[in-house]
Amino acid sequence: MKILRLLLLLPLLALAHGDDLYLLKGAKVFIADEGFVAKDILVDDGKIILVDDFIENIETGDVIDVQGKFITPGLLVFSSLGLLEIGALPETNDTGSDIYNAGFDPSRAYNPFSQAVRLNRSKGVTSTVNIPGASGYFSGMLTYTKINGGMKQKKQGPLGLVTRYGQSYNDSRAANLMYMEDLFSYVRTNHDDNYADMTQFMLGTTNEYKFTSRDFKAIKKVLDNAIPLVVQVNKATDILNVLKFAEAQEIELVLWGANEGHMVANEIAAAGVPVVMDPLNNIPSTFDSLNATYENVTRLNEAGVEMAFYYEQGAGAHNAYLATQSAGNSVAMGLDYSEALKSITSNPADIFGLVNVGYISQGYDADLVVWDNDPLELMSSVEMVMIDGVKQDLSNRYKELTDRYTKELDKPNSYRSRE
Amino acid sequence: MIKKLLVILTALVLFGCTEQTSTLFVDEAEGSVTNYENDTHGTYASTYVPLPSENTVIRNATVFDGDGNKFINYDIYFSDGKISAMGRDLVVESAIEIDGTGKYVTPGIIDNHSHMGVYPAPGVRTSSDGNEATSPNTAEVWAEHSVWSQDPQYKLALAGGITTFHVLPGSANLFGGRGVTLKNVSGNTVPDMKFPDAPHSLKMACGENPKRVYSSRGPSTRMGNVAGYRNAWIGAENHRDHLEKDPSHRDIKNETLVGVLDGEILVHNHCYRADEMATMINISQEFGYKVSTFHHGVEAYKIANLLADEGICAALWADWWGFKHEAYDMTIANIAIVDQARGGTGCAIVHSDSASGIQRLNQEAAKALAAGREAGFDISEERAMTWITKNPAKSLGILEQTGTLENGKDADIVIWSGNPFSVYSKAEQVYIDGALAFDKATNFMPHTDFDLGVKEWEDK
Repeated sequence: MKILRLLLLLPLLALAHGDDLYLLKGAKVFIADEGFVAKDILVDDGKIILVDDFIENIETGDVIDVQGKFITPGLLVFSSLGLLEIGALPETNDTGSDIYNAGFDPSRAYNPFSQAVRLNRSKGVTSTVNIPGASGYFSGMLTYTKINGGMKQKKQGPLGLVTRYGQSYNDSRAANLMYMEDLFSYVRTNHDDNYADMTQFMLGTTNEYKFTSRDFKAIKKVLDNAIPLVVQVNKATDILNVLKFAEAQEIELVLWGANEGHMVANEIAAAGVPVVMDPLNNIPSTFDSLNATYENVTRLNEAGVEMAFYYEQGAGAHNAYLATQSAGNSVAMGLDYSEALKSITSNPADIFGLVNVGYISQGYDADLVVWDNDPLELMSSVEMVMIDGVKQDLSNRYKELTDRYTKELDKPNSYRSRE
Repeated sequence: MIKKLLVILTALVLFGCTEQTSTLFVDEAEGSVTNYENDTHGTYASTYVPLPSENTVIRNATVFDGDGNKFINYDIYFSDGKISAMGRDLVVESAIEIDGTGKYVTPGIIDNHSHMGVYPAPGVRTSSDGNEATSPNTAEVWAEHSVWSQDPQYKLALAGGITTFHVLPGSANLFGGRGVTLKNVSGNTVPDMKFPDAPHSLKMACGENPKRVYSSRGPSTRMGNVAGYRNAWIGAENHRDHLEKDPSHRDIKNETLVGVLDGEILVHNHCYRADEMATMINISQEFGYKVSTFHHGVEAYKIANLLADEGICAALWADWWGFKHEAYDMTIANIAIVDQARGGTGCAIVHSDSASGIQRLNQEAAKALAAGREAGFDISEERAMTWITKNPAKSLGILEQTGTLENGKDADIVIWSGNPFSVYSKAEQVYIDGALAFDKATNFMPHTDFDLGVKEWEDK
């Protein structure tokens, strides 16, 4: 079997460019559904071309000894990376829009040189799904972006249309369900050609009720089942209403947040609806989350709900990489280790139908992270990050600041070296 | 008939309690009068009574004592609410025996920056009581008069090992008002939770927040902030002079500020930027008071030696940054650099400022420790443990009572399932003054009135 695979590989090797060819040898590699297993990985031209128990040394290219290390797929986070430099400064914040809502795709503002991007890359993040923040009825589109250095990034999307349901509106949540039904029926019964004239769906007094043709087209994508509706919702009864709504509308659904999801875990599982969440959300921070609990993650898992994790605590917008901490804590809460690690790598890829990312498997993009130890542990560190087979610069601003204030202390700090 | 009798009995018991509490209250009040004249003659003193406790010995655990030491296969014995003995193979009489094999024992974790109670959950306008944002100087307000004793967040912090926390007013104002140090116990009143004899504190704030909140009426600049502090201290000096002529004169704003000048009230100063912290130190020197602790201090590492020289603690996050301009120059090594300043004489504290973060201060310390080692410092886990135990206790003026595991101190103790610097470890048991306050195995913990009728699913 192995010989056969190697034979199949030979033509590939013949084609390989020496510069882009890497053999990572001797690490414990995270294979979804298997956990960490000893494997060698062969990378060429940005792709994983072989994952096997033992791969013979290659003659060209780089053999990287990663004996005893841990390799995971690059972390796939949900964040504002590249769209937000300083939270309180609107000048540096491109996450939101007042003009558009459903049709708003913030990823077009992506800045690869953001310090937050650098930090997160150095901490094992290889791609982000942006969280849109438009002010209207819909927050906008989800788009997937790789966070490699340089000007060019691969994107996939749109992946979903984000809205929220629950206490956030002034109107009754009952009225909001009716409104969504009416809005969807309106978009269904009108043709694309008419959208230009439909600048306002209903006479509303706030921006929430205004739609441009771009917004209607985005809603249509959901109605055509091209993308799921992603609903930020927490209250158990609201979740049931959203599940019923999606079923009646025959649309794909992803739940986001779902602090009380555990109370209706079986219903969510039966509907085959995935949940994007932070397992650390255990505070009854609103009346929609009175039953928030650390048990959410295990109860959803036991019911068979597919989950992806993000990190929402503290400076979550800038520290999206701490999804590892959310995942680690979920293990402490009783979640199976592999399930936790999948929830920040392959599960988000599966949930949003991403192509060729999230797994360490033949044919997938070579987005890999080498860790010195258990990647979910707080004191482990990243030793190498590869995005599309390219080794990434792991410098970041905090390490540069650290150096400035711990080295060459005999010089005034402004004259210390800048590496 | 039986019901009636029960009611009478209950009333008697309640009355008895009240009487007992009053007696205690007088004792506490006298202590307070001696130490803290600005506590308005004890009226607001602690009425905290520890939960009933039993003499207990934890055996064969790994102990971080909070004072920078680690002991293996150690026993710790506490009786009458105090730590009575520590060592190997302790011989004790009639105590509850707990097998600590494979477990870690630490002092109760202390968070010196919390807004639990003043920003309780659920976060709604009607109970948002943390910022008296009506004037740049509200030194007259006391956080303890906002605290909601039924906040359901306390027990979540307890499950993370928190035995003491310091509730501060928010940072909208130059002078936000007095903070209060609480034991993490449920109480019907705030004095029932107050840490006995803990000094009062004063919240001050630098930088962006006050200048943003008061941009239209001033201060609207950092220099305006500084003028605001200095004018207020001059006012406090005038009040103190006036008191010499008229000792009965009341001015609750200046009573707080004079309490600081007299060294009775500890200054807790929200301040991010290094240059601003240095300015705040200058101001403290101009008026002869001491800053106990700078809070948030994202740039504390830039003046770590100055802080060590001045004996000022810095209460910091491990890795928060970027949410505003003055929080941009973050390094995760901040805490370690402050700790290691001047040959390891710095006073570094991991704080939360978050009802979520307070549940995992041990994890925040772990990240800070890892970054410190990455920066080249040789820092042990037992040293890092001081960041969430001894140092916050020192910062709050309660180190004589708690913060380290030493004979005679309050038996505020956490038993962890494993190394507290691991993400997989959980607080299994938490003791406050020797009384079991949280037990993970039996789900034993306090429930507030607010919790009633909420967690119906728990019984399903």
